[in-house]
Amino acid sequence: MSINKDTIVAIFLLLFCGIMINSSFDIEDPGYQGMKASFWPTIVLCLLSVMSLVMLIKSMVSTTDNNLNSENTNSQNIFLKFKNASICFLMFILFLAFLDYLGMLIGGVLFVFGLLTLLGGFEIKKIINHSIISIITIGIMWSIFTFGLKVILPEGEILRIW
Amino acid sequence: MIDVILQAFASIVLDPVTLGLMFVGTLAGILAGAIPGFTIAMGVILTLPFTFGMTAVQGLATMLGVFVGGFSGGLMSCMLTGIPGTPSSVATTFDGFPLVRSGRPGLALGLGLWSSFFGGMISAVILVALAPQLAFLGLEFGPWDYFSLIIFALTITVSLSGGNITKGLIAGLLGLFAATVGEDEINGVARFTFGFDDFKQGFAFLPVLIGLFAFSQLLTDVEDDKRAKSPLMSQSGTVVKVEHRQAILIILKRWVNLFRSSFIGIFTGILPAAGGSISNILAYDQAKKASPNRSNFGKGEYDGVIAPEAANNATAGGALIMMMALGIPGDIVTAVMLGALMIHNIIPGPTFIQDEPLLAYGVFIAFFVAHFFMVGLQAFSLRIFLLVTKIPMYVLASVILAYCAIGVFALHNIVFDIWVMFFFGVIGYFMKKLGFPLAPMILGVVLGKLAELNLARATGISDDMLLFISRPWSLFFLLMAVISVIFPFYQEAKKETLFAKLYVPVSMIVLSLPLFLMGSPVRMIVAVILVLTGAYFLYKRTSSLKTT
Repeated sequence: MSINKDTIVAIFLLLFCGIMINSSFDIEDPGYQGMKASFWPTIVLCLLSVMSLVMLIKSMVSTTDNNLNSENTNSQNIFLKFKNASICFLMFILFLAFLDYLGMLIGGVLFVFGLLTLLGGFEIKKIINHSIISIITIGIMWSIFTFGLKVILPEGEILRIW
Repeated sequence: MIDVILQAFASIVLDPVTLGLMFVGTLAGILAGAIPGFTIAMGVILTLPFTFGMTAVQGLATMLGVFVGGFSGGLMSCMLTGIPGTPSSVATTFDGFPLVRSGRPGLALGLGLWSSFFGGMISAVILVALAPQLAFLGLEFGPWDYFSLIIFALTITVSLSGGNITKGLIAGLLGLFAATVGEDEINGVARFTFGFDDFKQGFAFLPVLIGLFAFSQLLTDVEDDKRAKSPLMSQSGTVVKVEHRQAILIILKRWVNLFRSSFIGIFTGILPAAGGSISNILAYDQAKKASPNRSNFGKGEYDGVIAPEAANNATAGGALIMMMALGIPGDIVTAVMLGALMIHNIIPGPTFIQDEPLLAYGVFIAFFVAHFFMVGLQAFSLRIFLLVTKIPMYVLASVILAYCAIGVFALHNIVFDIWVMFFFGVIGYFMKKLGFPLAPMILGVVLGKLAELNLARATGISDDMLLFISRPWSLFFLLMAVISVIFPFYQEAKKETLFAKLYVPVSMIVLSLPLFLMGSPVRMIVAVILVLTGAYFLYKRTSSLKTT
C-alpha cells in the first residue's frame, strides 16, 4: 500500500463530496410536483463519491504511481516548476482586486506590463518593449470592445475622478 | 426550401460584413492552427467574445472560419518545420515533412491544402444531406432518450479522451456538478450558493470554458522558463510557392483515398469527442494499409499527405452534423458554438433546423464558403505565420490572458465572471497536472443543465424509471454508454484474451436488441445485419480460441 498524489486528490474529493452532500440537505423544497431541486445534484455527488473512492483504492493499491517521496516533489523543484504559473495567478488576483480602482484600461496595461516583465526579465530594452506591447495591445482591445462592440468596460475610480 | 437556401446564401455571400468577418476568422484560425501550443478549440473559444455584438449568423460564420482555417493551419507548421501545429495534423508530419525535405515544399503544401479543401467539401455535402435527416430521427426522442443520449455523449468523451477512465469520469461528474450551482431552472431554488448572491446566477458557460481550456493552457505554455522566453519556433520555414495545379491532379488521381479518408473523418466527427486528432491517424493508417506503395510511407508518399488532411477537415463537418441535428456537441469546438447559439437565445436540438432554417442553412453555406477562404488565404497567412513564430510564448500568453479577462467581462458586464474564469483556470491547470482530462468536464458543464432538464421532464411525465430501459432509443444510448465505458479496457486487453475477442461481436449483438424493438423495417434490417455480423465474428473468434 502506498500514498501518492492520487491518494491525496481522492481524499480531497471525498471531503468535497461530503461537504456538498451535507449542503444539499439545505436546498429548499418548495413543494412543487415533480423532481426536487436537490435530486439531480445528489445523484451526481453520490456518483462522484463512488468514483473518488475507486480512485482512492486504486491509488493505494498501485505501486508505480507518483510516489510522494520522489525527487520531483522536493520544495525547490516544486517552486521552480510552478514559479511562472504562480506569477500569473498572483498578477491576475492583483488585477482583479484593483479593477474597481484602476479600471480595465489602466489595470489591463499594468497587468500585461507586470506579467511580461516578471516572466520575461528586467533588462532595460525588454522593459521598453514590454511597455510598448502592453499599451498597444490593451489599447487596441479596449478600443475594439468599447467602440466596436459597445461594451462598457470598468472605467475605474482613477479615470472617473480624473 | 429553395427560398430559405437562397436567403441563407444571401446572408453569407452577399453580405460584405459577414464575408469580412469570415475572412478574419479564417485567417485567425489558420494562425491558431499553425502555432504549436495553440489549438483550434482555443482559437474558437477566444473568438467567442467578439461574436456577442454580431448576429447569430455572423457569429457562427466567423467561428466556422476559425474552425476550418485551424485544421489547414496545422499543416503549414508540420510541413515547414516538422512540428505539428495541432494534434489533428500529427499524421501529416509523417510524409509531409519528408516531402518538403526532398525538395518539393510547394507540392507538399499544395497536396495538404487541396486535400483539406476536398475533404471539407465532401463533408459539407454530407452535412447538408444528413443533418436534416438525423434531425427528423431526433424528433422521435422523448426526454428519456435525450437524457440517455447525454449520458452516452459523456461516457464516450471519457473513454476517448485518453488516460485513466476513473479520472475521466470524475472530471465529467465535476462538470455536471458545476452546472448545478445557482438557481435551478425547474423550481427556481438556489443551490450551493453558501450565502453569496453572485452564486445565485450560477457559473456562466463561457467563463468556465475559457478558464478551463484557454486560461489553464496558457499557464501550461509559460511553465517552462526557457521555452516561454524563446521564440515559438526555433526552426522557421520560408515562403514557398504552392503548386496548385499539380497537387489537384495528384489528388484527383487518388480519389479512392480521398473519399475513404473523408468518410473516416466524417464518421469520427459524428462520434462525440472523437475529433481530428483521432481521424487523421486513422485515415493515415488505412491509406497505408490499402496502398501498393506501403514501403514509401514515411518517406514523402503523396497518399500519406492526402489521407490525414482530407480526414481532419472532414471531421469538422461530422462534428457539425451532431450539433445541428441533435444539439449535442461532438467536441469542444461545437460545444463553444452551442454556447454561442445560447447567447443569442437559440437552443439547438432536433427542431433547430425546422425552427431556425435561415440560421441552419447559413451554417451549411458558411461551412462551404470557409473552405474557399482557407485556400485563398493560405499563401498570405504563410507570411504572417513566419512573423508570428518569432514572438516568444510569454508575450502571447500575457496579452491573451488580459484579452480573456476583457472578453469574459463583455458577456454579462460583471466582474464576477472574471473571477469564475480565474477559479476554473486554476482548477483546470491543476487537473491537467494531476492527469485529469478536461474535455469530459467541459462537456459536463455544457450538458449538465440539459441532462437535468430532461430528467425532470421524464420524471414529470411518468414515475416509471423503467422507461429508461424499455424505450428503444433510450436503451440504445444506455447500451452504447456501457460499451463506451468498457472500450478503454478493450483497448488495453491483449488481443488473444477471451474478453478482447468477445467485445466487438457481443457489442454488435447487444446493440441489435433496441433496433429490433424500434419496429421499423429499415432498423430491423440493420439489426439483422448486426446480429449476423456479430454471430459470424463470434463463431470465428471462439473457433480460433478452441484451436489455440
